[in-house]
Amino acid sequence: MTRPVFIAKTALLCARGTSPATVASALWDGECSAGQRKLGERAFPYFALPLNEADWMRRAEQAIRQIAGQLGPSSPETPLFVASSSFQVGHFEQLGAPFDLPFAAASFSQKISEWMGLSGARYSFSNACTSGFSALDAARSIIATGLIDDAIVLGVELANDSTLAGFATMELLSRTAGRPFDARRDGLVLGEAVAAVHLRAKPATWRIAGLRTGLDGYSTTGPNPDGSRIADVAVDCLNEANLKAADIELIKLQAAGSPGTDLAEANALRSVFGQQMPPLLSLKAALGHTLGASGMAELAALLACLDADKIPATAGFTKVDPEIALFPMVDRSTAHIERALLNLIGFGGGLASLIVERQG
Amino acid sequence: MIVLTKTLSQCFVPADLPAAVRAALGKPLRRAAPLTQLALVGALACLPPERRALPTALLWQSTSGPRLETLTLLDEVCSGSAEPMPYDFLATQPAIAAAQIQTFLPGLQTAMHLPLDNEETAHWSLLLSLAVTWLNEGRCAQVLCAQLDHAADAASGHWLALSRTPLENSPACLQLTEGTSSNSLPDTPNFPAHLAEWLARNDSQTLSLHSPVAMRLAVEFARL
Repeated sequence: MTRPVFIAKTALLCARGTSPATVASALWDGECSAGQRKLGERAFPYFALPLNEADWMRRAEQAIRQIAGQLGPSSPETPLFVASSSFQVGHFEQLGAPFDLPFAAASFSQKISEWMGLSGARYSFSNACTSGFSALDAARSIIATGLIDDAIVLGVELANDSTLAGFATMELLSRTAGRPFDARRDGLVLGEAVAAVHLRAKPATWRIAGLRTGLDGYSTTGPNPDGSRIADVAVDCLNEANLKAADIELIKLQAAGSPGTDLAEANALRSVFGQQMPPLLSLKAALGHTLGASGMAELAALLACLDADKIPATAGFTKVDPEIALFPMVDRSTAHIERALLNLIGFGGGLASLIVERQG
Repeated sequence: MIVLTKTLSQCFVPADLPAAVRAALGKPLRRAAPLTQLALVGALACLPPERRALPTALLWQSTSGPRLETLTLLDEVCSGSAEPMPYDFLATQPAIAAAQIQTFLPGLQTAMHLPLDNEETAHWSLLLSLAVTWLNEGRCAQVLCAQLDHAADAASGHWLALSRTPLENSPACLQLTEGTSSNSLPDTPNFPAHLAEWLARNDSQTLSLHSPVAMRLAVEFARL
C-alpha cells in the first residue's frame, strides 16, 4: 500500500510571530530584527520567542500549549513525532549543578505529549539541523504505507547556553546578522522556534511530493564545498516526486550566512538547476537558525507565505558573492507557487530536501 | 522479499571500546565519541567488506544518548569560566556518528537517530517498518537498524541488518503484517538478542514484533 500524504494544518511560534499567518505577514513586511543573548563576555544576536516567562520549563509549556492551540483539536491517539537538537538541556542549565539528567535522552518528549494532550505513539528525532525533516520523513513514510492515518510532527528548539556556546567555540556564529549567500556573510544567528504540522492521508491543500534525506561525511561541521551530496539528495527528491528541475518554482534555501555551507548549497543548486534556476528564498535571516526546529518552522512559515501568495524578500542579502554568483530574492513577489523545494543542510553531515505541491 | 541478514549484540567495557575500534579498522578512530565508536564496530561487524559500498541507510535509536558527554558540556558551560572545548560540544551531537563512519561505509547514504524517552521500551517496530518500506521502494539496498547505549560502566550495541536481496545463510525474511500473532516479542532495547535466541531455538516458523503503542501493523519474521 502506498498513498499520498498531505499537510492538513500548521502551527508556528517564533521570533517573528505567534502563528504561521502572523509570521508570513511579518516576513512580507521585511521584519528581521533580532535581540541579543549573552555568553560570558560576548553577546550574539539571537531570535528569541516572544514569551516573558523566566522559568525554562514553564516557558516551554507555554510555547507547546500555544502550538497545540493553533493546531486545534485532534484525537488523543494521534502519533507525535518530536524533532529537536537540544530537547530540555536549557532546563538543566537553569537548575544548575549537580545536573540530574534523566537516563532517557528524550524524556522531555513525554512532557511535550502531555502538554499537547496526546497519549498515542510518540517518537523523537535528533539529527541536528535536519531533525525536522527526518521526523517528517518517518511520519509520512508510515502514513503512506498505511500503518497510521495521521501524525503531528513537531519541531522544538528552545534557548540554552550549551548550544550557543558550542557554536560560538567553533566560530560558527556571526556577531552581527545572518547574511544568506551574501559576500559579507560571516556566520549563523541562532534562534528559538516551536512549530508543527499535522500530516494526514486525507487530501488537503499541500501534498508532500518528495522527501529525501542524505549524509555528507566530508566534515562534522559542514558539507563538501562542491555540493555534490547536496545535489544528489535534491535529485533523488525530484525523482521521487516525478518532477523535473524546471517544475520547481521556488527554492527555500538552507542558506543561513555560513561561509562554507552557503557555497556548497549554491554549487549544488547550480549543478541541479543549471540555467533554469528558480527564485531563491532564505528565511533564516529573519527567523534565525532554529536548528532542530528549523525544518518545521520554515515549512510552516513558507506555506503561510504561499497560501497568501506573498513571497517575502530575503533579509540580509545585499552584495553578491562572486564565488556563489546566485541571487536570493531581494524583491517581494505575489507569484502563485504550485511547487516549492525546501533544503536543509545540517551540522553533522545531515542533508534533506522536501518538495511540496499544491493540490487542486 | 526483505531479508534479515544479520543479528548482532555487542557489549563492551567502555575503556575497551577504542581497542575494539582498532581491531575493526586496523587503526584508531581519532576524536570519536563512544556512540560513534559503537556505531563503527557494530556496522563493520554487520556488513562484510563487499557490501560496504552498497546504498545503505542507518536507523538508530538510543536510550542514553550522549548523556555523559552532555554532563561534561553542562559542567563546562555552567561551571567553567570559558567556552567549552569544541570536541566536547561535538561529542554531544549524536548525528555526527553517521558522518564519522561514512568513510568506512562509503555506501552509507542517510542516517536517522531516534533518542528514546523512557528506559523500558524501544522503537524497533518503527525502525523495521521504515526499513521494510524504504527497501521495498528501492530507496536503498540495505538498512542497518541499531540500538546504541553507553554509560559509565557499560557500552552496548544491538543490531539488525536487512537487505532487499537474500544472502547465503540469511536466517529470516520479514514483512509488515496486519493483526496479532500469539508468538510475539515486546519492543525493548535488546530485541535483537531475543530475536537471535528465537532463531537459535528453531521452533516456531514465525515471530512478530509488536509496538507497545498503537501501531496498526506488526513486523513478522519468518524463517528461511
